[in-house]
Amino acid sequence: MNKEQLFRTAYESILECNEDKALQVIRDAQANDLNLIELLSMGFSSGIRELGDLFGRGEIFLPELIYSTEVMKAATAAIEDQIGVSDIPKKGKMIIGTVAGDVHDIGKGIVCSLVKSNGIEVIDLGREVPALTFVEKAEEYGADFIGSSALLTTTMTEQKKIEDILRNEGLRNKYKTLVGGAPVTKRWAEKIGADAYCEDASDTVHLILGWVAKK
Amino acid sequence: MNSMERIVLTLQHKEADRVPVYPLLNSVSRKATGITYEEWSKDPKKCAESIIKATEEIGADCICTLVDLSVEAADWGQEIVYHDDSAANPAMNNRCIKNADEYSTIKIINPRETPRMSEHIELARLLYEAKGQEMPIIGFVFGPLGILSMMRGQEEMFMDLIKCPDKMQIALRNITETLKEFCAALIESGCHAIMFDTLYASRTIMSAKMWDANEGVYIQELCEFVREKGAMVMLHNCGAGIYFKEQIERMHPVAISFQHIPFDCTDMEEVKAKYGGQVTLIGHIEPGFIFTATEEELREMCRKQLDAYKKGGGYILATGCEYPASMDFEFAKVIVDEAKNYGKYA
Repeated sequence: MNKEQLFRTAYESILECNEDKALQVIRDAQANDLNLIELLSMGFSSGIRELGDLFGRGEIFLPELIYSTEVMKAATAAIEDQIGVSDIPKKGKMIIGTVAGDVHDIGKGIVCSLVKSNGIEVIDLGREVPALTFVEKAEEYGADFIGSSALLTTTMTEQKKIEDILRNEGLRNKYKTLVGGAPVTKRWAEKIGADAYCEDASDTVHLILGWVAKK
Repeated sequence: MNSMERIVLTLQHKEADRVPVYPLLNSVSRKATGITYEEWSKDPKKCAESIIKATEEIGADCICTLVDLSVEAADWGQEIVYHDDSAANPAMNNRCIKNADEYSTIKIINPRETPRMSEHIELARLLYEAKGQEMPIIGFVFGPLGILSMMRGQEEMFMDLIKCPDKMQIALRNITETLKEFCAALIESGCHAIMFDTLYASRTIMSAKMWDANEGVYIQELCEFVREKGAMVMLHNCGAGIYFKEQIERMHPVAISFQHIPFDCTDMEEVKAKYGGQVTLIGHIEPGFIFTATEEELREMCRKQLDAYKKGGGYILATGCEYPASMDFEFAKVIVDEAKNYGKYA
């Protein structure tokens, strides 16, 4: 199998949600002395980008997206095992979590997978994260982006708290902030002073990659 | 004209004295009695008292029994976590269906005897006794797929829908049989209609084909059962890209409560033209919008929707999902005020 065929197979394994195929192409790439970082970026990541776009256009749906991101996670983990995590170049770093009082995290989980698959290091703080923790962790990890998800109108106000803390601590211009979640709107993002409203995971990836490109 | 007469005419696609109004006053009603969300969720008497007080104070035209989306799942043994100021939810790290093989453990249960569904039946009875002669009481029932996801976890269930949908069918069948009895009891308690929440029947979640195969077939049976029992069928779905056509084909509802324009329409006028003759439209002011709007902006939104939908009846001005639980009643009163004034028929 030549290089292009290997890239193509990796790409297909993501679109077909086929974990066996994904792991086999990694073995085939090793047997052919192909750089695994290249396989990740030109093959698997290309597949996940296409998948994100298909999702954004409503051509595939949440179950397929979740399943494929699981395949992507498995492929990434297998490559990281072979070459070491630190060898994979990152375009930026994102802190993400579901805000305090909110236990929902399916959307956030998908955002994590897609953003990570596009070369951004993601530190997932999990569910019910206090506003101050978002800021403290962003400082601790030297993040570029802070993403918060709120699935309830009762918890949306936590996103405003993050903005307030950043402003009060003089850190507001240090990070790009993104807000998302079912009741969250562009209007809400503007009202609280967030940098962006993310309608879905695909939207989040495009926003972040856009910022990375302007850096 | 009282609320019942107004809504009956509206459902017949006739113009009443004005457009009926229902800002989905559910958990926010606890503020009328000053109780916590947990008390409101667990005590049908306090819950009924709160809903009645809030409905009267705000001036809504109907009552719906929505408490939270964990009512049914709790009775199959799903651990539920209650909060003082937000809705109860399943314990995320302790789902009662831990793997795909455990779908077969979901048996038919008797909702008249299980804790939360029997309390819900009691809530419906109390609401009917207090208000059922003057306004419709709508029993709220979560759809089979939604209930299953509460017990399995959404992400896990979505994976199973691709990997092993066959294993899920026995659970969906037994949930459906249980829900038939639940609906029967709610109707006996006085509910004029059953509103099914078909959470996953929207384009942002799953394909219409997947929804139809895994919920459509069951919800059709439930709807036919409800009609046989003499009650009306309604549906609620606050997802973006809601499937109107597919759900109408399966459910033949008299009304659809929705938050977003259906995926096969581009604007409100098209929704009215395409579906306004088939179903009564209930909606669709977004709670997220209410949260950020000024009073004037909210009035403007109400008027925009009234302009698009009110002609010829078949429209109830409402929020697209529950009125924000953390707000006071003032904006709900604004919505009612717009229906009473701008929503008047000549």
